[in-house]
Amino acid sequence: MPERIVISPVTRIEGHAKVSIYVGDGGEIISAQFHVVEFRGFEKMCEGRPFHEMPGLMSRICGICPVSHVLASSKAGDAILGVGAPAAAEKQRRLINCAQVLQSHALSFFHLSAPDLLLGMDAAPETRNVFGLADQEPEMARRGIRLRQFGQRIIELLGGKRIHPAWGTPGGVLKVLTTAERDEIAAWIPESLAAVEMAISRFKSILDNFQDEIENMGDFPSLFLGTVTEQGELEFYDGVIRIVDSEGNIVADGLDPRRYSTYLGEASQEWSYMKFPYYKPLGYPGGMYRVGPLARLNVASATGTMRADRELREFKQRSQGMVCQSFYYHLARLIEMLHCVERIEELMFDPELLGQDVRVNAGQNRREGVGSCEAPRGTLFHHYHVDADGLIKKANLLIATAQNNLAINRSVEQTAQRFITFSRLSEGMLNRVEAAVRCYDPCLSCSTHAIGQMPLVIEVSNRRGQLLRRLERG
Amino acid sequence: MRAILIAVGNALRRDDGAAHRVLQLLGPLPNVVVRDVMQLTPEMAEDIAAAEVVVVIDADVRPGETFLRPLQAEPQARTPVGHAMRPEEVVALAENLYGFRGRAYVCHVPGRDFSEGESLTPEAEANARAAAQLLRAMLG
Repeated sequence: MPERIVISPVTRIEGHAKVSIYVGDGGEIISAQFHVVEFRGFEKMCEGRPFHEMPGLMSRICGICPVSHVLASSKAGDAILGVGAPAAAEKQRRLINCAQVLQSHALSFFHLSAPDLLLGMDAAPETRNVFGLADQEPEMARRGIRLRQFGQRIIELLGGKRIHPAWGTPGGVLKVLTTAERDEIAAWIPESLAAVEMAISRFKSILDNFQDEIENMGDFPSLFLGTVTEQGELEFYDGVIRIVDSEGNIVADGLDPRRYSTYLGEASQEWSYMKFPYYKPLGYPGGMYRVGPLARLNVASATGTMRADRELREFKQRSQGMVCQSFYYHLARLIEMLHCVERIEELMFDPELLGQDVRVNAGQNRREGVGSCEAPRGTLFHHYHVDADGLIKKANLLIATAQNNLAINRSVEQTAQRFITFSRLSEGMLNRVEAAVRCYDPCLSCSTHAIGQMPLVIEVSNRRGQLLRRLERG
Repeated sequence: MRAILIAVGNALRRDDGAAHRVLQLLGPLPNVVVRDVMQLTPEMAEDIAAAEVVVVIDADVRPGETFLRPLQAEPQARTPVGHAMRPEEVVALAENLYGFRGRAYVCHVPGRDFSEGESLTPEAEANARAAAQLLRAMLG
C-alpha cells in the first residue's frame, strides 16, 4: 500500500511549513511536496495607504530581512516620485543592504545550519542546535554571534533600530550618518573579516563529509537568476537581471528589473500558500529558476572585491563553472558575507557616505513604480500602482523565497528519494529533508507575507492520502 | 552593581509592551544598561555576560500581580527557530559561551489585553509601575 510521510513543522527556518512525502506500495518514495501553511495577505493590507508610508509598513513583513523590504519599497517610491536618491542616501542604502545580508546570512549559517554541518545530520536532535554548537565549537559560535551583531549594529546606527527600521523613504533616507557612527562601523571590520574567513576555512574542511548530501540534496539543472552590474559583477542594490542555465549559458542579460512581470510569471498550487514563480519564456514548471547566494554567484562573473573573488574562483571550480548543488548555498552564503564586509570597508572610505543631502523633495510624478534589490535570500521586487492622491491601488511583492519554491520542492523530493527508507524511518533521514529546505534559508513570513515563526510538520501518507505517520516539531 | 535590564515585547500588541513601559518609568539608573527588544536573540548573550545581574522584563498573559523569579539557565533549545530564545536559553548561552556567573531573574508583568493597539490596560499600567518600583529597590 502506498504511504505518505509528513514533516511538520520544519524547524530552524522562518515561518510555518509542512513536508508531505508519498510512499508507494513497495516502500519507494514516489514524490514529495513542500507546503507553506500560513497566509497573511500583506499586499491587500497596503491598498488605500499612501505610498510614502510603504517603506515603514513593508519593514513589518519580516523580522529577519526588514531592511530589504524597506529598500525595495523606497526604490518603488523613488520611481513614483520620478527621482533618484541623492548620492549620500544611495551609499547609505548600499551600506545597510550589505549589513542586512551579513546579519541574515550569519543567522542562517551559524545558528540554523551549522548544527547540522558541524555536529552532523545524524547527531541527536537535542544537541543539534545552537547549544550543541556552543559546546563543540565555542569559538565558531562566538564569532557567528559577533558577525550578526555587526550587521545589526550597522542597521541600528543607520535605521535607528535593529528590527523594522522605518528609515528609508521615497527619495532617499531620513537620517545623515555621522563621522562617529562611521568610525564605529569601521572598527568592527578587521574582526569581521577574520571571522568570515575562519568560517569559510572550517566549512571547506568538512565538505568531504557531505558528499552524499552534496550530490543528492538538491543537485539538478535549473536556471539561475540574479542582479549584476553592467559589467556582470555581483550587485546587491541596483543593477540589471541576468539569467543563466545550468550549462553556464546566458539565457537573458541586461533585463530591466522594472519590467519583471514581462519575463517572470507566478503560478499557484492548491496545496501551498506560496506562489511558484517561473521564467515565462520556458513556461511552468519548465521555467524553474533559483535565486539567492548560489544563483548570484553563478550568474556573476566576479564579486568585485579581492577576498571574495579569490573564493569565487575556487567556488566555480567545484562544478566546472555552474554549481548546481543546493548544498553549496551554505558556502555561497559565506562568500557573500566576506564580500559584504569588504564592501562595507570600501564604503568607510567613501566621502559621499557622510553627505548631508539625503532626501530629494519631490511630488508624485508617476502612477506606478517598481523597486528591486537583492535580499539575503534572492531578488526582491516591490510593485505599486497608486491613484492621483498617491494611495496604493494595487501592490505586488515578488519575494525571493517564493522564487525558490519550485527548486525547494525539487530538493525535498530528491532528498526524500535518496535518504528516506520508509520501513526504518529515522530522525536523521527526516532531518536531511529539513536540511534540504534549510539550504535555501527560506523566509516564509516574507514569501507568503505570513506572520510568525516556522515550525515544520512531516507527514507520511499513502497514495490515497491516508495519514500513516506524523512528526511534529515546535 | 552592574546590571542589564532587557525589556521584551511587542509594543503594538497592547499589554505585550508592558516591559517597555517599565523602562520608561525607571528612567536612567547608574551602572545599569537597558535593552528594549521584541524578542530575545542569541546576540544578547555577550551583553548579559558583561553584567553581574540580568533581569528579563516580560509581559505575562496570566493575570495577577508583578513578581520577580530567579531564572535557572536551561541549555536546551525548545524554540523551533534560531532567532528567538527563551530567557532560560539566552542565559544558558551567556554561561556556556562567555562564562556568565551572575544572577538572573525574570520580572513578570501581567497584562489582560494582547490584541493590536498601543496603549496599556489599567491593570498592565499598574503592574508596570509596581515592576519599576520593585526593580528600583533592587538595583538602587
